[in-house]
Amino acid sequence: MKTASRILGTAFFEAGFEVQDAPRFGAERRGAPMFAYVRADRAPIHERGVIRDPDLVVVADDTLVPVAAAGVLVGVGERTVLLLHSAEGPELWRERLAVAGPVLTLPPAGEALDFVGAASAGAAARFVGVIPREGLERAIREELAEMPLALVERNVEQGLASFDAMAPHAGIVCEGRAADAADRTPPDWVELPFEAARVSAPAIHAGATSVEVRTGLWRTMRPVIDYEHCNRCSWVCSTLCPDSAIRVEADRTPRIDLEHCKGCMICAAVCPPHAIGAIPEREAAAQERGEAAPEGASR
Amino acid sequence: MSTSGETAFRRMKDLPSTHLLGGGTAMCAGCGGLQAIHEIYDVLGKKTVFVNAAGCMTLLSIYPFTPFRGSWLYTAMACAPAGAQGVRDALDILREKERIGPEEDLEVVVLTGDGAAYGMGLASTSGAIDRGLDFLYVCYDNEGYGNTGQQYSSATPHAARTATSRGAAGYPGVKKDLFAIWAANRPAYVATACPAEPVDLARKIEKAAGLEGPRLVITLAPCPTGWHFDPADSVEIGQLAVRTGVWPLKEYVDGRVVHTVRRGKRVPVEEYLKRQGRFAHLFEPVRQEELLREIQARVDAYWQAVE
Amino acid sequence: MTRTLVTGNGAAAWGARLAEADYVPAFPITPQTEIIEQIGAWIDEGAMAARMVTLESEHSMITAAGAAAATGVRVFTATSSQGLLHGMEMVYGVSGWRAPFVLVNVSRGLAAPITLEPDHNDVFAARDSGFLQLHCATCQEVVDAVLIGYRLAEDERVRLPVIVNLDGFYLSFTREPVELPAADAVRSFLPPFDPAGLGIRASQPTSQAVAVLGGTPYSYFRYQAHLAQLQALDVHAEVTAEFEQRFGRAYPALEAYRTEDAEIVFFMTGSFATKAKDAVDRLRAAGERVGLVRPRLLRPFPAARLRAVLAGVRGVAVVDQNLSLGKGGVLHAELASVLYGVPDAPAVLVSFIGGLGGRDIGAEEFYEMAAVTRRAADEGRTPEPRLLYTARELREVRKLQGIARAEHDELANEGEEARR
Repeated sequence: MKTASRILGTAFFEAGFEVQDAPRFGAERRGAPMFAYVRADRAPIHERGVIRDPDLVVVADDTLVPVAAAGVLVGVGERTVLLLHSAEGPELWRERLAVAGPVLTLPPAGEALDFVGAASAGAAARFVGVIPREGLERAIREELAEMPLALVERNVEQGLASFDAMAPHAGIVCEGRAADAADRTPPDWVELPFEAARVSAPAIHAGATSVEVRTGLWRTMRPVIDYEHCNRCSWVCSTLCPDSAIRVEADRTPRIDLEHCKGCMICAAVCPPHAIGAIPEREAAAQERGEAAPEGASR
Repeated sequence: MSTSGETAFRRMKDLPSTHLLGGGTAMCAGCGGLQAIHEIYDVLGKKTVFVNAAGCMTLLSIYPFTPFRGSWLYTAMACAPAGAQGVRDALDILREKERIGPEEDLEVVVLTGDGAAYGMGLASTSGAIDRGLDFLYVCYDNEGYGNTGQQYSSATPHAARTATSRGAAGYPGVKKDLFAIWAANRPAYVATACPAEPVDLARKIEKAAGLEGPRLVITLAPCPTGWHFDPADSVEIGQLAVRTGVWPLKEYVDGRVVHTVRRGKRVPVEEYLKRQGRFAHLFEPVRQEELLREIQARVDAYWQAVE
Repeated sequence: MTRTLVTGNGAAAWGARLAEADYVPAFPITPQTEIIEQIGAWIDEGAMAARMVTLESEHSMITAAGAAAATGVRVFTATSSQGLLHGMEMVYGVSGWRAPFVLVNVSRGLAAPITLEPDHNDVFAARDSGFLQLHCATCQEVVDAVLIGYRLAEDERVRLPVIVNLDGFYLSFTREPVELPAADAVRSFLPPFDPAGLGIRASQPTSQAVAVLGGTPYSYFRYQAHLAQLQALDVHAEVTAEFEQRFGRAYPALEAYRTEDAEIVFFMTGSFATKAKDAVDRLRAAGERVGLVRPRLLRPFPAARLRAVLAGVRGVAVVDQNLSLGKGGVLHAELASVLYGVPDAPAVLVSFIGGLGGRDIGAEEFYEMAAVTRRAADEGRTPEPRLLYTARELREVRKLQGIARAEHDELANEGEEARR
């Protein structure tokens, strides 16, 4: 999404706009959810930081939408356009999310993660209606200049394809207006109460609280154990999983903890009888949805 | 605790099958450093306090989440061994003055990356060795300042491309020999290890835990993000580091250095290098024969000297 | 109680001994070294049941101090000047851990140029760190402040580290009569450290000093440490009242000397304030209504008390033994910030910079500062800040510069001008 924001930012800039674009990462590393944002205006931009009331939200990974912590829908209002890379149609999403604004979809990124940035930027460029096709192409080339040429061409192709595909929606995203200072709601400031150090020091008074963090959301590929072929060696996958996400039961059967598995696929690579396969997370999730309530729905 | 020669870890099946380190940490998928810490923690147990210096693993404990079932104290980049000194001394004092019983005691473990261990923290490490501090130092060595995006550190291998050595020849320096620096000061124990060799790693942690005084285990930490390889290949990269002889597995104890794992004939270093994006410039667009020869020669010279 | 001749450094060491500190991480630096030498000697002869460890730097020393306090023992440590700055990363660090201990700082000017003599830029560099600061004017105050410091640090409403500051040379190496409290009396004032809710041990898994993500938790933790500092104002009042009851010496957060009907007041910290007291007495004898206000507590800053004491005063001569380069005296700015907009506040705060690098301040200079401040109050106009520096001093520096072959032309020109 950082790539998408930079392509869109450059395209706006070339079209004569003042621009801000920036990525935001958490403390997590590669694989963890992140977002990026772009502001564009004819006038100099004085607002800074994360956008509170977006005119357009583009979601590269639709599995993040139901995750509150990912904050995908934060600030989405009546006129916010929502674009999702998803195998499911816009009607379904509109209904599911109960949002007032337009909802559109592009095909899921799947394993084509290398192109999701260009595809997103292409669609966004069309939505805003002020970026010409050739401007988009120049922006993609400029932002991806360090990539191998073949990859750049594929990106240009993807970017322009989604630009073209969204032709019916040209101009759907129009300029937002900052809230009027006259009808404001005051912030709910509080007097921060004094609390003794036993409560207010930056200390954690319990063990292994990290299990509350569902790093399973990082996964794009899911390891699946073929128990017919698993030889119950009892240690290889479990020892070498960096995230302690494979436990071995008393009968030496390994179980993968999908809440925390980040999908690194080390287990699949090291399994002596090759009994661990990999399936795209999206497919696995869809299968689960078809069968029963989504995993973790109880949380 | 074992004495030398006796070990609970003879075979892979002896390794713990339940794991102490909690999941849900912020480390990259396929992190070799986290793999090492998770293996180490299972051997050390939760009666430990990890004293940490600024690095990737600082983000193990982000309020209110921690993967540790024991304790943790973050210091700063330069001074984790000094933090260990304070904790060790305080625990000793509490025991001597009978304010806590022996069951409350902890093994004090310094946990830092190579940036602190080889560089900024070396003075405080040196001081801790001088003072004979009873602690275990675990260095996860991912051969660069990984937490900030893999700039070169004094642990970066010759010719590796990093965020601050992007030229055709990569990093011009040579990896510092931290093992030798420690060993020269005659501490209780020094070892190198690799999470892809879990039995060897477990034995070394077991041995280190059974000794008193300054002890160091430097574990290679294959880094998918900084070294540019697929996370699934983390173990294979680690194994290749050992099999090519780039990362000798050895230990220093009682004044002697012993190599603990030898996997038959050494594989050419190239096999290790070509699997990682940080060395891709040695093969593409043209093979840099001279650099490749130089790297192989350095590894050969090491082994000729010890064999 | 015995009355005996003790240096400021000796008094600091006595503070640690009487507090029955368990642990003393150390590193030598002039003019602090005697403190750790004395403690080391006491430990060797069995007079003090503590463990002393010399670290390889102050950065490590402060880390070890904080780590041991966080583990649950009573910690004493001491440094000065460059040492405090070398450890500054961890000065901020350990206060963020909320680790309670006492650090004695023997004030000394900061390099460059290097000097051994005192001013307060070193301790003021730690002003915003979260350490409480107690500033001493006499050797007696040093030993008492260390004991009071532990009560403050370890109080569960506060739980922050404390700096006890004394001036190098003027106190550190100067003997004066000190009443050393009896050990058992101290024990009832300062019982053994009860690290309730604190500590690193097997039965009590704790992850301390962990990272946070974002401004929301960060603001909470930092502001809580600030609120704990503010709590320390009340705790200080309680603790010093108890101290006075037990030992007969009163230590209000603000020393107000002959201020009842004062028109002009000196405002300063540290040992030079006793010189100002002398000047006050002599000016009073000459019929001038002059007083002295000296904060002992610099952090937390006793703002309300200052407003009360200075209400109705016509002018304040702020004597800063420090210099914020590009701004001026630190105390001047601190005082102005709590008086601005307050009814009855003094009309003028005149800034004087004096005593940098141990430069003495003479009685006649105090008289003149009072006169300048009175004039400013009369005229209702605040003069520019004044460096206490005489023509004779400038001539001395010119001589030095001549030998150093510095700026020849300029010196020559000045010589000509002088002849003209």
